[in-house]
Amino acid sequence: MVTSIGKSIQRKDAWEKVTGFAQYTDDFPTTGVLCARLLTSPYGHARILKIDTAKASAVKGVKSILTGDDFKELHGPLLLDRPALAQNVVRYAGEPVALVVAQEESVAERAVRLIEVEYEPLPVLLTPSESLSQGAVLIHEKVTGYKRMLTDIYPEEGTNIASRYHIQKGNAAEALKKCEYIVQKQFSLPPSDHLAMEVRTARAEISSDGQVQIMTSSQSPYAVRQQISGAFMIPAGQIQVTVPFIGGGFGGKSAVMLEILAFLASKSVGGKAVRLIITREQDMAAPPSRIGLEADITIGADKDGKIQAAQMIFRLDCGAYTDISPYMAKAIAADCTGPYHMEHVLCDSLCVYTNHTYATAYRSFAHESYTFCMERVIDLLAKRCGWDPLEFRYRNAIHAGSTTPTQVPYTESLIGDLRKCLSRARQLSLWDAGSRTAIKQNTVKAKGIACFWKTENPPTDAISGATVTFNTDGSVNLVTGVVEMGSNGQTHLAQILAEKLGIPCEKVHVVLSVDTRAAPEHWKTVASLTEYMAGKAVLRAADDLLQQLRSNGSQVFGCPISDIEVSHGRVYSIRNPERFIEFKDIAQGYQAPDGTSIGEPVLGRGGMMLKGLSMLDPQTGKGKTGPAWTLGAQVVEVEADITTFSYRILSALTVMDVGKVINPESMRSMVAGGMAMGMSMASREAASYDSQGVPQAPTLRTYKLMHIGQEPDYQVDFVETPQDDSPYGMRSYAEHGLIAIPAALGNALSNAFGIEEVTLPLTPENIWKASQKEKP
Amino acid sequence: MIPFDFVYCRPDTLNEVTDTFKRYQNENKKAICYGGGSEIITMCRVSSIHPDVVVDIKNIPECRVLEKDNFFLNIGAACTLNQIKESKLFPLLGLACGRIADHTNQCRITLGGNLCGTIIYRETSLPLLLSDAEVTTSGLDGIRRVPFQNIFDGRVRLKEGEWIVQVHIPVWALQARHAHIKKTTQEKIDYPLVNVTAIWKDDVLRTAFSGICSRPFRSSQIEAVLNDHGLSPEIRAEKAAELLPEPPYHDVEGSSEYRAFVFRNTLCELLEAWQNDRA
Repeated sequence: MVTSIGKSIQRKDAWEKVTGFAQYTDDFPTTGVLCARLLTSPYGHARILKIDTAKASAVKGVKSILTGDDFKELHGPLLLDRPALAQNVVRYAGEPVALVVAQEESVAERAVRLIEVEYEPLPVLLTPSESLSQGAVLIHEKVTGYKRMLTDIYPEEGTNIASRYHIQKGNAAEALKKCEYIVQKQFSLPPSDHLAMEVRTARAEISSDGQVQIMTSSQSPYAVRQQISGAFMIPAGQIQVTVPFIGGGFGGKSAVMLEILAFLASKSVGGKAVRLIITREQDMAAPPSRIGLEADITIGADKDGKIQAAQMIFRLDCGAYTDISPYMAKAIAADCTGPYHMEHVLCDSLCVYTNHTYATAYRSFAHESYTFCMERVIDLLAKRCGWDPLEFRYRNAIHAGSTTPTQVPYTESLIGDLRKCLSRARQLSLWDAGSRTAIKQNTVKAKGIACFWKTENPPTDAISGATVTFNTDGSVNLVTGVVEMGSNGQTHLAQILAEKLGIPCEKVHVVLSVDTRAAPEHWKTVASLTEYMAGKAVLRAADDLLQQLRSNGSQVFGCPISDIEVSHGRVYSIRNPERFIEFKDIAQGYQAPDGTSIGEPVLGRGGMMLKGLSMLDPQTGKGKTGPAWTLGAQVVEVEADITTFSYRILSALTVMDVGKVINPESMRSMVAGGMAMGMSMASREAASYDSQGVPQAPTLRTYKLMHIGQEPDYQVDFVETPQDDSPYGMRSYAEHGLIAIPAALGNALSNAFGIEEVTLPLTPENIWKASQKEKP
Repeated sequence: MIPFDFVYCRPDTLNEVTDTFKRYQNENKKAICYGGGSEIITMCRVSSIHPDVVVDIKNIPECRVLEKDNFFLNIGAACTLNQIKESKLFPLLGLACGRIADHTNQCRITLGGNLCGTIIYRETSLPLLLSDAEVTTSGLDGIRRVPFQNIFDGRVRLKEGEWIVQVHIPVWALQARHAHIKKTTQEKIDYPLVNVTAIWKDDVLRTAFSGICSRPFRSSQIEAVLNDHGLSPEIRAEKAAELLPEPPYHDVEGSSEYRAFVFRNTLCELLEAWQNDRA
């Protein structure tokens, strides 16, 4: 019976959000709450000679002022390399240097401006290449001295390399020698920002008996608990982290940063409640942003247009601190080929420190960056081979008999069907009608295609859980540790539960906020793994619930459990279905007409731990980092003025193999949202720095996002190749609409303007520059 | 937020404004005019300015005027960009107003604010430079009326305590043939890489520019070249680019070289359209 799966069920948070009643972290009352503000570094790299807080301390209403000298703890999810406040040295412009706690915001802000800091500028390193060059200054003096939180982080002594991952499958060097066609390209992509609508913020309070309460705009409440517990030796049970709605995360709120500062701020004023707020401008420079990436790729095909081998070096610009970046370097390595059959692969993926704002996950976990490079060379290789770019991809698509770069054998369930996606994309984009057409003098329409795939890189032991309780009307409450940040995971979980219980989705009430004391731990709301991980936990909780309902039913009806059926919100015996009991009458135990109590109250719980994942083999990269892959094809069409190098994006198409479409409208809009984000990032966004590492566009006046009115037409279509071990066969999909959009746009523009060296962001100026270089 | 306190005054007459400026000048306090406030808020937030007093001029009748007499269109400094655009009284100025910021801000930003602000583009100045506009100012020495170009060299040059009350545009310019071409980096609502604004008076082309250099300007040398019909549009554009008063502006929105490229293209576009019309 289908009650929910496959239906466009409205978001559980829809009404609260459209009416404006939804409350975000800093919307809660501020009465009696002190305010903390940050002083951040104006230098990209400098020694701190002196911090004078005398004038700031003298401001009436200032409660405390903290600097890096007040602590020695270091933080980070993988490598403990980051102080909460800069200690002796600042490594990026925007790094927190001091924190003021005051009676109110204006006082804190005034005091911040009165803190005097003396800096001695140090040489800045602004690209991974610079950081890796001979004699480059070391951004961290002893990178091997930092504590590693997981075993597969490999900092290299005496360098700026925080970690490195190596893939060796077959013999790429030999295979390339035999190739008929070779493409060799270098890329250098700038970092950019997440720019969630809600600026990051956190609150903390410490009770007199040492209970720590944190409320934060975070995708990772359990990581907040773990990191604060670990760093400050507080038993985890004494820490309670709550997350109300969050106004967009995109990975940027998966890092733990302001929570630590808010905790320290509260501690410095005897545990009083403190809200740490930052400005939009600080939000763009101080907390982590998106990575930059350099790549050198050599790829070869035989005379039949079959890709034989690829050699790749990726240098990921992680900025001043690692946060989760080593795992992004690993993610790039694990998926480096894209969804293609390649027998010979050699890849080195390095995570390199620079003096940029440090980086963290950004929607699709670095896949958007390496995919841009890879899909550009695939397009160029198709051209060299004389193949249509779509046909070339079809020909080389990963298929049965292939293995991934980490040598996981292809199965349909595990990876999906690229050829189906490409066929569908060919049809829907009217690909065969021509990929470049002149429409008037100096104006052409051109299309570009790119493919993507992505698996996840969670810790191999990541967990999730769900609990389900009944209300007296027979409806249920679903509690998970999943944060609602727009990706609609909560509603999908409700659908999964409703389907399993055989009740309408309206009868599933979802607890939308997360409280680490109340909700079972969910690793982090990242990697699009909500439906897979929490979904599995929900199914197990539902099984548990059904089992208890059957037990109650068997006692009421006096028949074996195996005879009891549960559906349509009713419990009955298959031998006599006319006699049934509604959930509301049996879920809390059953009371017979004579008053006898029968059975027990029903409480469902389910948990899941990821299984079958492994660390990558350091020599070959062999291993499995994530549960499965999701792949797809994307086409972008532009209208380009070939004299002025300006262009308009006309349409964009995504065909994605999502396994199972459990909510067509919600999934369509999530994919279109990813496409829009990718389009904006690819066409205009870059964190630009001057030669001293100072951000040049640190405000929304100059850092432009794509606005309403400039959006192209978005078309989304799905292929359904079920992932066998996932709830209802559904694959991770929430981030993926973004991944190949930059590449598809790049390919369309390369096609339109007839130039090869397109780079991000794809601004008319960058295209013009490339055309100047490539002028015959 | 603005983390410091300041005095807010809302005078009802021109004299009260002058008195206010005098009073705070004597107290050695910095007073500034407040129209829409968008720039004051921004600049105070980031600590670029620290006014002690803001003088709201929106309650002064002279500053709210938006009407045409026999000789001039008179626009009060506190008229918003959106009011000017929607009045349709000076279409070219309306075009300029309609491309500054977004609609919400166009309903706040005033003509006076755009002309006198610190943001370098001051795009409403271009139609004024081209139309022989005049301004009425009020200051500690009283009221004066002068040609706009006399007090504007890329930014407004006024005496201490003097401020713009109204601008006056001669009626000939209101319906004159015109063009307004604004090129941005990528986003429609943005500062100009290049803004080329043009008016034709008796088939003579007048042009003024913003974005291409660090200040808006009008140049007689450039106009002479652009009106030279013996040369092709490309050559005229090329020569005009050589006559810029300073090297093209360079910032995160566009390099000098690229701005020059866009400048030449934009002029070409303007001249070709003109040439096609004349043919």
